[in-house]
Amino acid sequence: MEEDEFFGEKTFQHYCAEFIKHSQQIGDGWEWRTSKEALELPLDDSEVTEATAATEVIKYEYHVLYSCSYQVPVLYFRASFLDGRPLSLKDIWEGVHECYKTRLQQGPWDTITQQEHPILGQPFFVLHPCKTNEFMTPVLKNSRKINRNVNYITSWLSIVGPVVGLNLPLSYARAASQNE
Amino acid sequence: MTDDKDVLRDVWFGRIPTCFTLYQDEITEREAEPYYLLLPRVSYLTLVTDKVKKHFQKVMRQEDISEIWFEHEGTPLKWHYPIGLLFDLLASSSALPWNITVHFKGFPEKDLLHCPSKDTIEAHFMSCVKEADALKHKSQVINEMQKKDHKQLWMGLHNDRFDQFWAINRKLMEYPAEESGFRYIPFRIYQTTTERPFIQKLFRPVATDGQLHTLGDLLKEVCPSAIAPEGIDGERKNQVMIHGIEPMLETPLQWLSEHLSYPDNFLHISIIPQPTD
Repeated sequence: MEEDEFFGEKTFQHYCAEFIKHSQQIGDGWEWRTSKEALELPLDDSEVTEATAATEVIKYEYHVLYSCSYQVPVLYFRASFLDGRPLSLKDIWEGVHECYKTRLQQGPWDTITQQEHPILGQPFFVLHPCKTNEFMTPVLKNSRKINRNVNYITSWLSIVGPVVGLNLPLSYARAASQNE
Repeated sequence: MTDDKDVLRDVWFGRIPTCFTLYQDEITEREAEPYYLLLPRVSYLTLVTDKVKKHFQKVMRQEDISEIWFEHEGTPLKWHYPIGLLFDLLASSSALPWNITVHFKGFPEKDLLHCPSKDTIEAHFMSCVKEADALKHKSQVINEMQKKDHKQLWMGLHNDRFDQFWAINRKLMEYPAEESGFRYIPFRIYQTTTERPFIQKLFRPVATDGQLHTLGDLLKEVCPSAIAPEGIDGERKNQVMIHGIEPMLETPLQWLSEHLSYPDNFLHISIIPQPTD
């Protein structure tokens, strides 16, 4: 493993393990899955069911993967109606809260696009990872300054998740600060 | 003696003779003739098939036409993979021309990404270029470029303009004088026999002792089954193919990255079974 990595794969695994520990305590459905063939390690949320204003129920599936190219975690997700019909990018976009839309529209690198899941090979939606370091660095710097323990995955997911309908219970933050 | 620069041209101008046939269950007003086209290996299906689409839509009614998609022997073709990669991986052992079936209905949502416009292809292409530079230069070179340089890469590919493309791309192929190559090599290894679509890992072009890593070194490290010998005579059961050829395993990876990458700056490598003839 590289010593000069900002957020290497082993670090990713470590924070995911801490994250999963808390997930198992509160039973919100995250699972850790390894691919038999190599070191890519996806972390899956089995199901999050959300009701929309109309009578349609939409099932969201979130995966957290590690990008070795950008050395950051990446959020993949897909959504379908209960009858299995997938949501289109347009549908997804309509579900994004207004306050996030302006930010996402500013640059092609900040936006949601359809991509092939690197392990499953199926179409998923992704938030582009190249700006992750930009917003995570101040978070980590500040936590070091005030001597506070931070779980990178928890902090990162609490920032990107809400944009696409994933809201972490507050107990994750308390769990992170308790870990020495 | 072939100059290294000639390799760049040979790669760029590679073509695959293809025969497009309309799927038999599509509803037509008259018989649809097959359409023949030479496809650029380094481009993308949805970027170069406008003429194919027009040809078949001429014999169809507007209401029977939805998003176009392509298939070869039952396998939906991923438009976001370069054409040459698709051919090498799925059809290189079959006789030419490459037979592709065209569909206008029943888009396979679970298998293919949507391609609503040329902008989608551009976004995908630039995303790959950016990722390759993250690996090669920690994104320094691509981020230092202006928007118009990014546009020029795309327009060069779109309009099949080798000089226009390489005027900018050559900067993405440079590395600091004190180094012997890129930080990591952008590559993806594809096999149809595995669940996983491709293998991509961090791999340096130079070893700690300063020796250049070869294609064989890469495969041994990330995909040893690709070059494993088999049988009593130790013959390899797989071919390692890039742009329709089998480079020698002794080839330095840095050289391959500089000369045999696709326009997205990735080495797309196919592992296919040895042809049985």
